[in-house]
Amino acid sequence: MFYKALMLLALGSLSAHGASVCPATAPAGAWGLEYQVSASQSGAEPRQVQLLRRGAQTALYSPEHQMAEWWHFEDPKRPGFSRVFDQQQRRIDYYMGDLRALGVQAQQEEVESFAARHLLGQLTKQGSSPCEHAERYQGEINGVSYDLLWSPVLAAPLAIVTRKGEVERRWQADKLLGKDAVNARFATWQRYRETDFADIGDMENDPFLAKMINQGFIEHREHAVYNDQGQPLATGHSH
Amino acid sequence: MEMKKLALVMATIAALGLAGCNDGDDGVAGTPGADGANGNNGTDGRDFTAVNQWYLAGQSTVAKAAESTISDPAGKAKNVILFVGDGMGVSTLTAARIFEGQQQGKSGEENRLSFETFPYSGLVKTYSSNQQTPDSAPTMSAIVTGAKTKDGMLSITDDAVRGDCASGQGHEMVSALALAEMAGMSTGVVSTARLTHATPAATYAHSVERNWEADSNMPAAAITAGCTDIASQLIDFPYGDGIEVALGGGRTYFMPNTENDPEYGSAGRRNDGRDLTSEWTSKHAGSSYVWNLDQFMSVDLATTKHLLGLFENSHMQYEADRSDDSAGEPSLAQMTSRALDMLKQNDKGYFLMVEGGRIDHAHHAGNAARALEDTVALSEAVRVAMEKAGPDTLILVTADHSHVFTIAGYPVRGNPILGLVRSVDENGEAAKTLSVDANGMPYTTLGYANGPGFGFGSSPVNMASARPDLNLYDVTDVDYRQEATVPLGSETHAGEDVAVYAMGPGAQLVTGSVEQNMLFHVMNYAADLEARAEANQP
Ligand SMILES: [Zn+2]
Repeated sequence: MFYKALMLLALGSLSAHGASVCPATAPAGAWGLEYQVSASQSGAEPRQVQLLRRGAQTALYSPEHQMAEWWHFEDPKRPGFSRVFDQQQRRIDYYMGDLRALGVQAQQEEVESFAARHLLGQLTKQGSSPCEHAERYQGEINGVSYDLLWSPVLAAPLAIVTRKGEVERRWQADKLLGKDAVNARFATWQRYRETDFADIGDMENDPFLAKMINQGFIEHREHAVYNDQGQPLATGHSH
Repeated sequence: MEMKKLALVMATIAALGLAGCNDGDDGVAGTPGADGANGNNGTDGRDFTAVNQWYLAGQSTVAKAAESTISDPAGKAKNVILFVGDGMGVSTLTAARIFEGQQQGKSGEENRLSFETFPYSGLVKTYSSNQQTPDSAPTMSAIVTGAKTKDGMLSITDDAVRGDCASGQGHEMVSALALAEMAGMSTGVVSTARLTHATPAATYAHSVERNWEADSNMPAAAITAGCTDIASQLIDFPYGDGIEVALGGGRTYFMPNTENDPEYGSAGRRNDGRDLTSEWTSKHAGSSYVWNLDQFMSVDLATTKHLLGLFENSHMQYEADRSDDSAGEPSLAQMTSRALDMLKQNDKGYFLMVEGGRIDHAHHAGNAARALEDTVALSEAVRVAMEKAGPDTLILVTADHSHVFTIAGYPVRGNPILGLVRSVDENGEAAKTLSVDANGMPYTTLGYANGPGFGFGSSPVNMASARPDLNLYDVTDVDYRQEATVPLGSETHAGEDVAVYAMGPGAQLVTGSVEQNMLFHVMNYAADLEARAEANQP
């Protein structure tokens, strides 16, 4: 019911687009990938999603919504999580107990790999790849066909194309972001006014939080490859 | 300095008309009712006492109460311990009592939380001076200063305007803890929330805004106007020789932004460069600062005169998650126990406030299991105090406000309190099937009138128009969030009365239905705090 069923779509071949970003080595320090996300039948313009990495920190940022989900995996069993709102320059920090109470159980590798890591073992590695420094995987899982271009040096996908029936969706990395851009963004987010998630209920006089309280924490999960249960969309797992 | 502050509280109390007038709040008993406890048999020849244990137990309780004609004189209590369950409304107590009993393998309803065995109890009206349903700031201010105030403000009279620094200056109200320090007593503040959070903060700080926990949370204008943040007020506490024991969360509020948290690596939240933890140890001779369980347990209590423990960068873990904390955290009972070991060394007595601070947060998240576990943890802390505190100690247990938390349906006796309602059949035996709603769907005993609603997921609001089929979910899972009638991102406080329980000298004053600020006056009467503070001035 919460499941916005796998909105996984179809599309033509990877190779036409597969090599716009294909690094031979991972940039030192911090880096990011900007993806164009498009759906075959939506008629909508492609949207951008950024995957930002620095050490044990990973953020998924939607330039369109100016919102980010920022994970800290310094202790992988006890991740820290922040929701970032650029327009309001606010940050909501979630601690372990908050995440558990919300039933969020994100896996570090899945977050860091843009929710694609688990696919590697289930798809078949192809002999050729459109990009010298990337591996190509193909296959079908639960009636969804996948075409995945995986960068071993980044441990992240450069492209994912999914197809189910008439419906096709594509995540295509088209820009590699350097460490300065990523560091600057993290530094900006660090300076935002932060609120503990646990404290929100006691702060209904704060207009920004009151809006969240009244509307709920509206999720924009489609910008990432997660469903609104915090699980990778592609796995199809649900309670 | 101290006398000036003391004079202030007197003036404030007098100005508010809370002292010396006979408005029924002064603890004078009304005309006694007729004795209904003689246990005589009825006139129809039936012996009601013959077999029914319910009847006998009730009769015996009333008989015992009738024998007690205590009227302790003022000042009979040497020590005061105040326990506050943040958001621990009456429905929370009932559910937690059953939860604890069922954890012990019993049916649960007959169980009693530690403080439910106290000889005196009453109901407390929790409204603030400007809201029907309050937050923790004015309610705790009322409990520890003797006067109600506006929402969001800490131990400042309600003439002030929330968030307006200048409006609060000169309107500070002295707390029971400050009076105890002035009296030469030892004092302690213990909480599972941040030590700078509203409930603990009201005992030692004055602020027109509860969110001014570190200087980085304050507008520049407020700092310029001379207001200070809450964390710094704990360290700079001007009364007596300062607070002896301060244990809780909120570490980064005491650390400069140039330093990283030892457990999480996140930066401190202070822009003023102050490292309040090292200020604590350099300010007090024989002092310690600890931030994890091992350090805490190895503190030598005989030689440590001032102990600061900050066990999380923000709130401490929920009791349900505590064992998974990477650095290790003490339980509320452990903190209470060691706090009392330190405080008891003072011949002049002590004042200790202990808060179960996260009951409130779990309720806001619509997560009853965590709220109940933290309530049981508070009960355990009270049990420690009952064992460690002597008969010269007044112990109060209360809550600042309630939550819109409900216990509904007609579940059979012993039905799992977190479970789905299974009622009784026409013979009064457990029904074979679950109770269902108008749509044929089962429902949980526990629920909320508003809040994030059903589910495990990260999307808190139940947007579905129909109720889910709870047969498909493990509703007793610690992470399960109960359903809510009105969908809100965060469940809200409730406005009904909370309970107060009392034992020890002066406990008899706790009875009936009282205003929340009356609780300060009970403590003040029982321990004669103001007179002892005055007498102890040089
Ligand atoms: Zn609250």
